[in-house]
Amino acid sequence: MNPGSKAKHKLSALDKRILNRLGEDIPFGKKPWEIIARELKIKEEALLKRLALLKQKGIIRRISATFSPRKIDFTSTLVGVKASPKWMTSVIKKINSYPEVTHNYRRESVYNLWFTLVARNRKRIDRVLREIGRVKGIEKLSEFPAIKTFKIKVKFTL
Amino acid sequence: MLSKLDKSIISVISKDIPLAAEPFREMAEAIGVDEAVLLKRIRSYKKTGLMRKFTAVLNHRKLGFTHNAMVVWDIPEKMVERAAGIMASFDEVSHCYEREIKDDWNFNLYCMVHGRSKFGCINIVKKIANKIGHVVQYSILFSTREEKKTGANYFTVKVNSK
Repeated sequence: MNPGSKAKHKLSALDKRILNRLGEDIPFGKKPWEIIARELKIKEEALLKRLALLKQKGIIRRISATFSPRKIDFTSTLVGVKASPKWMTSVIKKINSYPEVTHNYRRESVYNLWFTLVARNRKRIDRVLREIGRVKGIEKLSEFPAIKTFKIKVKFTL
Repeated sequence: MLSKLDKSIISVISKDIPLAAEPFREMAEAIGVDEAVLLKRIRSYKKTGLMRKFTAVLNHRKLGFTHNAMVVWDIPEKMVERAAGIMASFDEVSHCYEREIKDDWNFNLYCMVHGRSKFGCINIVKKIANKIGHVVQYSILFSTREEKKTGANYFTVKVNSK
């Protein structure tokens, strides 16, 4: 998944309308798709078919609720790793093996691997970091916990 | 304090919802609760801000937003609020946090910038830096590879299979 290696998918005007609509909350009622279809002035079957296709293409990763970890008593953090390029693959494999790891990116910097953790408590984060810190090829692991959140809003104008 | 029921609901709605005519009924059945109860709880989570949103999570790389940069800034404490406000005002910025610094890492403000090209991202960063106005130190960390991206795993619950 290197930047540029994926061809841009051609989206129809309808796809864009669907994706823009689904950037907002789905209706919390018995038949959410029927309501959205009506809003978009299309048939429910047509909507479901397009959604299935957009998922199949991997454009929609999932349709789900997002919570603020802190509000449901979960803890999250950001971790930077200085990993030896020689051991990068096995370091990544170990880090990704934890379900608590939600994002993991290689980046161009002295800290060349950055991952986020969402866990049920501080103890669990400490434990995961201790275990990961022992992995061969990790020269340094630093945690950069958030002090203040100023923005979380993913908005792509299609 | 979250009840056992809340935990079941949060767990099931954090995952992909079914493309069925009545998706909430299917999810309710999976955790053994009334659909009406499930819907009522979801509405209350939204109202209280526990749940931020219930939306499609997109693969932005596949939508042409092929480049993402984590931009780290060294901003004097008294300017943090204003600088963060400037960053947050850009649609291209999805996340902005103040974070702890380390001996070898003096950057206290972070923002994620998304763009259709490397140049596009750099352009946004320059605009932000210009608006901040003062000479500030920053570093743009482009992602060279996405190794993992998934939703959070909240609670483990038994799910009834059909």
